[in-house]
Amino acid sequence: MATVTIKNVWKYYGKTPAVKDLSITCPDGSFVSILGPSGCGKSSTMRMLAGLEHISAGDVMFDDMRINDLAPKDRDVAMVFENYALYPHKTVFENIANPLRLRKMPEATIKDRVLGAAKVLEIEHLLDRRPQELSGGQKQRVAIGRAIVREPKLFLFDEPIAHLDAKLRAHMRGEIKHLQKTLGTTMIYVTHDQLEALSMADYIAVMHDGELQQWGTPSEIYNKPVNAWVAGFVGEPAMNFLSIDIQSRDDDVTLIHPNFEIPLLPRQVAFLNGAANGGKARMGVRPDALSIGMQKPVEPSITGEIFVNELLGGDMLVEVKLKDCRIRVKTSTDFEGRPGETCYMTVNRDKWHMFDAGDGHAYF
Amino acid sequence: MASRDVVHYDSPAQRLLRVLSVIFVVFYLIWTLLPFGVMFVSSFKELLDAFKLPAIGDWAGIGVFFDFTPTFKHYNTLFSENNFGRYMLNSLIAAGGSAVISVIFGSLAAYALSRVDFRGKSDLFFWIISTRMAPVVAVMVPLFAIFRSLGLVGTLPGLILAYTTFNLPFAIWILKGFFDNVPYGIEEAQMVDGATRFQAFRSILPLVAPGIGAFIVLCVLFAWNDFLFAAIIGSGGAKTLPVATRELVQPQNIQWGAIMAAGVVTTAPMMLLGLVIRKYLVTGLTMGAVKE
Repeated sequence: MATVTIKNVWKYYGKTPAVKDLSITCPDGSFVSILGPSGCGKSSTMRMLAGLEHISAGDVMFDDMRINDLAPKDRDVAMVFENYALYPHKTVFENIANPLRLRKMPEATIKDRVLGAAKVLEIEHLLDRRPQELSGGQKQRVAIGRAIVREPKLFLFDEPIAHLDAKLRAHMRGEIKHLQKTLGTTMIYVTHDQLEALSMADYIAVMHDGELQQWGTPSEIYNKPVNAWVAGFVGEPAMNFLSIDIQSRDDDVTLIHPNFEIPLLPRQVAFLNGAANGGKARMGVRPDALSIGMQKPVEPSITGEIFVNELLGGDMLVEVKLKDCRIRVKTSTDFEGRPGETCYMTVNRDKWHMFDAGDGHAYF
Repeated sequence: MASRDVVHYDSPAQRLLRVLSVIFVVFYLIWTLLPFGVMFVSSFKELLDAFKLPAIGDWAGIGVFFDFTPTFKHYNTLFSENNFGRYMLNSLIAAGGSAVISVIFGSLAAYALSRVDFRGKSDLFFWIISTRMAPVVAVMVPLFAIFRSLGLVGTLPGLILAYTTFNLPFAIWILKGFFDNVPYGIEEAQMVDGATRFQAFRSILPLVAPGIGAFIVLCVLFAWNDFLFAAIIGSGGAKTLPVATRELVQPQNIQWGAIMAAGVVTTAPMMLLGLVIRKYLVTGLTMGAVKE
């Protein structure tokens, strides 16, 4: 187990920076997810931690030891690769035993540990098979087995369940989280799937274009995004964004949009710092912070025209056409509006967000 | 489930073509196999029997070919008087030695060319194979001069070196293709598991085994059947089977029986090698290793 500190780390491929001035501290025993779209630098970060890529600048520390110049074998990390990277000519047993054999452990210990890992992962009956005889989920378990068998300081998981089908993925999310809590080993888990990050991690590092956007617990990332990019990336269905004008009237500050005029809550006015007074901003609201109805309510509401209804099983997603854009609203399945009809939406003003129209940083 | 047969509708012309191609193949087989048959049978015949031929047009007299008492006389002569045991060993050492050396250096070079990017890599790669583009005869004279001043002429190490010169580029080219097909992720996994770079390289060798097997066969075939290098570089102290066979043709006396026996001794091991290794060559190991 180890605390992993990434200090001002840069990664260049030629002259292109892939990771820019990244600083993260992963507490001992925590489950940290690095979340971002493809090309955001998350895999480069992981490969630098594993020692498969050189670190262009900055320091990486495991506890108090600087590991920049150590070979992968000396870092005591275990990695699960996106494509599993099992050894095709070895049996499952030998695949899992490989890290122990390389450390020249006694045969009895190897057998104990491999059987132990196989038991945890429920693959005891597969030990004599070769990787090509396994299904995707089984290969994935073998790859995890190879990682946990040697009790390393740090686990690195590189999108390990991205290739599994949806049902198995949901199952493996729970399994991996449980495994990490049981072993208590620090884990860094790279993914592009925000649901995986939100559901499994203790802390999430959101990356975009090589830069760290936000570091926080899943609930901080979801409820208090620091900018419009994070707000839009995290959450499914995605947050709605609307361009609005801000105007002060008497005591109130009101958001003006061709379809509605809604005042801010008094405590929210302070967050604007007067910066956006009389100017433009972007309003962000998640589909579940909106309520939709066919009767015009008393409170300020948004008027729109139903574009399409999508049934999501337990919920209904309604796409509503406004004058300059479309927004999505989550509602219950007994919603009776038909496409083309006029509808009215109210906003849970505790749950909306306001972003700067320029750089997208969050006011609240 | 649909049938996996290839559905076929022949026109008369195609049917004729099929018959003609069977006839062609039959003649081709006779053309290529008959000399081996004659060689094999003649090696067990007395010289007089070997030259007994039926009259032209006398198809009934074909039995004459098989009317003889088998004798191992020629094989005895080869191994007791002509020292063929020694020559066979020379052939074996020269072919095997150059194959082993070429595989060792070839796989190291091919691995490097497959995994590492460096400036001028494609030029280097082309330059390696370009050494195979000149005909052997063209380099023979300078090579002989170099070998002579190094005292390598007429020695087995000299012959091995000469074969390696020609086999190594070939090894690099064949093996690079096989290494390219092995996903790099496997070595990365090995290194994270605790392997050095060299251990990681060794761990993927089983995955390129079909390539190494194919190359060893080609390399051994080249060296075993070679006459030119053996006659010039190996002459004297490192005589191989083809050269020794050639020496059975003497100005006053062509020893047909011994030549036939020598032919059998020379070709049989290579045919056996082909049979043994055939199954191995077609085994692919990498399937299913990595999810693409």
